[in-house]
Amino acid sequence: MIKKIMQGILLMILWFPAMVYAQSIVTTKHNLSATGAGDVKASSETEICLFCHTPHSSRPMAPLWNRRDPGVIYTLYTSATLQALPGQPDGTSILCLSCHDGTIALGSVISRAMIQNFKGGVTTMPSGLSNLSTNLRNDHPISFLYNASLAIADGQLRTPENIIPPVSLKNGKVQCTSCHDPHKNLISDFLITSTQNSNLCNSCHQRTSWEMSSHNTSAKTWNGSPPDPWPFSPPDFSTVSQNGCENCHRPHNSGSDVMLLKYQQEENNCLDCHNGNVASKNIAAEFNKSYKHNVGNYMNIHLPNEPNQVFTNMHVECVDCHNPHAAKNLPALPPDVSGALSGVRGINQAGTAIDPANFEYEICYRCHAGSPGSPPAATSRIIVQNNVLFEFAPTNPSYHPVTAIGKNSNVPSLISPWTTSSIMYCTSCHAGDGSSSTAAPHGSIYPHILKLQNLTADGGTNATGTTESPSAYALCYSCHSRASILSDASFKEHRKHLQQNVRAPCNTCHDPHGISIMQGNNSSATNLINFKAGIVTTSSSGQLKFVDLSGNHGQCYLTCHGVNHNPHSY
Amino acid sequence: MFAQVINAQTIVGSKHDFSAQTWNTTGEICKVCHTPHNAITLPDAPLWNHQLTTATFTTYSSATMNATVGQPDASSKLCLSCHDGTVALENFGGNTGGTHFLTGTTLLSSDLSNDHPISFTYDAALASTDGGLFNPITTPSGLGGTINANMLFSGKMQCASCHDVHNNAAGTPPSLLLKSNAASALCLTCHNK
Ligand code: HEC
Ligand code: HEC
Ligand code: HEC
Ligand code: HEC
Repeated sequence: MIKKIMQGILLMILWFPAMVYAQSIVTTKHNLSATGAGDVKASSETEICLFCHTPHSSRPMAPLWNRRDPGVIYTLYTSATLQALPGQPDGTSILCLSCHDGTIALGSVISRAMIQNFKGGVTTMPSGLSNLSTNLRNDHPISFLYNASLAIADGQLRTPENIIPPVSLKNGKVQCTSCHDPHKNLISDFLITSTQNSNLCNSCHQRTSWEMSSHNTSAKTWNGSPPDPWPFSPPDFSTVSQNGCENCHRPHNSGSDVMLLKYQQEENNCLDCHNGNVASKNIAAEFNKSYKHNVGNYMNIHLPNEPNQVFTNMHVECVDCHNPHAAKNLPALPPDVSGALSGVRGINQAGTAIDPANFEYEICYRCHAGSPGSPPAATSRIIVQNNVLFEFAPTNPSYHPVTAIGKNSNVPSLISPWTTSSIMYCTSCHAGDGSSSTAAPHGSIYPHILKLQNLTADGGTNATGTTESPSAYALCYSCHSRASILSDASFKEHRKHLQQNVRAPCNTCHDPHGISIMQGNNSSATNLINFKAGIVTTSSSGQLKFVDLSGNHGQCYLTCHGVNHNPHSY
Repeated sequence: MFAQVINAQTIVGSKHDFSAQTWNTTGEICKVCHTPHNAITLPDAPLWNHQLTTATFTTYSSATMNATVGQPDASSKLCLSCHDGTVALENFGGNTGGTHFLTGTTLLSSDLSNDHPISFTYDAALASTDGGLFNPITTPSGLGGTINANMLFSGKMQCASCHDVHNNAAGTPPSLLLKSNAASALCLTCHNK
């Protein structure tokens, strides 16, 4: 007898540690018995396994399933880039859906003739996050084969044998149980491993450049001002890095139909952090300005697999210029892309699609290199060119030095550190105004998303011109010394044209992008001269041209502000 | 040996009390299954009196099963000699050609693919491979000893691991269970879920 008691005590000692380490279904929401932990539970039935398993007459046979097949047709996840072929839910997934699609009463099991009553009159899964419904469009795809060729076709998936445990495939397929263990709720949502730092997702997904990206590494936290940027991830994830994929994605009940994003309106997935509440710069505010890349205007138009050069369905979204899986904080010098633009596709100066873009302007060329529907030229000029790629070609007689060092070695107005061998970005001019903006063309109070004022009004008379001042041409003067320009250090008539009796703005004579080699040459189109049409008209001899005679000398044949130049030489 | 049976009385009035069945011309309880004489010899078959099944069974299988399940053996074969529906109930004591068979949910048939697996070794190694099972050698059964001692037969799972063929007391609903399954206590004895 004593021996028996001793044996019993020994057994208890051996048994208890197992109870402590291995959490049981008994304490989870999946205990649907009357003693269950959740709100959704039976009124009186005490058996726990019963709601899913039966020792006899199960259907399907494995794993001794005690519930009926819902027998409904589900709407499946699909997207333009999905390589996998999800079929109607099968395997273990259909078992989960026999409760989680909300079609079958929770208390309806094969081994009992009567439906088990649930507390509060609940029958089927109450609506809410746990009820996925029969529309699985906004849920991570399931019931598809994940093999080596899928990994290759996708390009950013681990090969099946390299999937990181405990995540695993079920008969070669991704199923609910690849990520969930219905018996244990050690983390949350019955997940088999934490989503913190994208851990769960990275078990299968291997996004190019993600490792070093800010969305993976940043320790930035939320300052508490609404909206909550992370309304759907576990409350203890307090940094960008911890939220990882969940900064933007939701594996279930996503707001978007494609890409499982939090919100349908694409930019909202970015701007709930990029509003000064998490990321320091308030980009959201930039999009409230008058002149902007109007990301709010478009929805469901951008496609991740659209051509590099956007020719149809013109639109702009944050992800047209940024790659949220690659973006990082890494300064660069012109013309190289900075970290914020890393991993983005582009069109290079040869007009060829490249991925990723090496130079910033290559990203601008996606839409501004002759795409129909890209904005018209800001000023109508004598030489008409609206393809920015042609305007900046390094073979041109003149261009602002965006794609290569400029052509003119004699630019006395340049303010240090600019020199005639400098290279600049598109964003050196096209950027947000004010000190709180970034050097990026999100939005500006100035037309053409210019970072500083550049007045262009010229009606062709002294009265309708622009009064020269440091602020009137603040944009040009930020690199080209006003004092130098007005002292006529290069063109001897600058002061006269700008101030005295003429009041012509820079814009009337200069075409700031450049003049294509196809339309001008080294004697007709240097110094960015390309007159404004309508204001500058033909001379008395019917000519309208500029002739570069080199060494700060030239001739103009034209009529402007009532003055016939036929020619005027300098 | 019959004297050792602690629960033999509780078979009275249970579904296994065949004394009042029309097909049981002996009017006895025990005799349908046991006989003191000329018994059929089979492991774990105490003085067996009922004709044995010769059916080939489809066994349970699943992608997540770790155990290797063989054809039903030992005492499970005794149960299936009535519960597979191939042998008539009154085919005992040398009788053949009976006409009463089980029907409905108590008829498991020879397709056991939708029944809890039986007739396989459940040992410490299986428990550790599976990860969701208690070690039968060290875990108490709640019946006085370990799972291995009280519920397994030569280390194997059998029908009798869950059922007490003679005891109607524990079942809710009465299913001749070895131990009550209220709060799924029976299942959770072995399954660490
Ligand atoms: C429906 C068939 C059936 C009936 C009826 C039946 N038994 Fe059994 N008996 C079995 C089976 C099967 C086993 C072996 C499996 C087990 O031990 O549960 C067994 C085992 C036994 C054993 C040996 C194991 C132990 O528990 O000690 C004894 C003794 C026994 N029975 C006595 C009886 C007596 C006495 C009766 C009548 C009051 C009876 N049985 C009625 C099927 C039956
Ligand atoms: C001699 C034939 C026979 C043998 C052998 C036999 N049973 Fe039965 N069993 C029956 C019959 C007959 C019923 C009653 C069926 C009915 O009422 O529909 C029954 C009913 C049952 C029930 C249902 C009890 C209830 O209360 O609903 C269980 C459980 C059961 N048997 C288990 C077993 C197990 C386990 C074994 C082997 C250890 C076994 N039986 C061996 C004939 C047998
Ligand atoms: C893992 C435990 C377990 C094993 C092994 C097991 N059973 Fe059962 N069996 C049960 C439970 C629990 C019930 C009651 C089911 C319920 O309440 O729905 C049951 C019910 C039954 C019933 C009654 C079914 C009904 O609907 O009336 C029969 C007959 C039966 N078992 C026979 C067997 C036979 C024969 C074997 C071996 C081939 C076997 N069982 C193996 C646990 C088991
Ligand atoms: C005496 C111990 C024992 C009891 C009691 C028991 N089981 Fe099992 N069960 C096992 C073992 C051992 C396996 C084999 C597991 C394996 O090999 O993966 C198993 C397998 C299963 C499986 C199949 C798992 C798979 O991977 O396909 C299910 C489902 C299951 N049991 C449910 C139940 C339910 C429900 C009950 C209660 C009615 C129960 N079991 C009672 C020991 C038991």
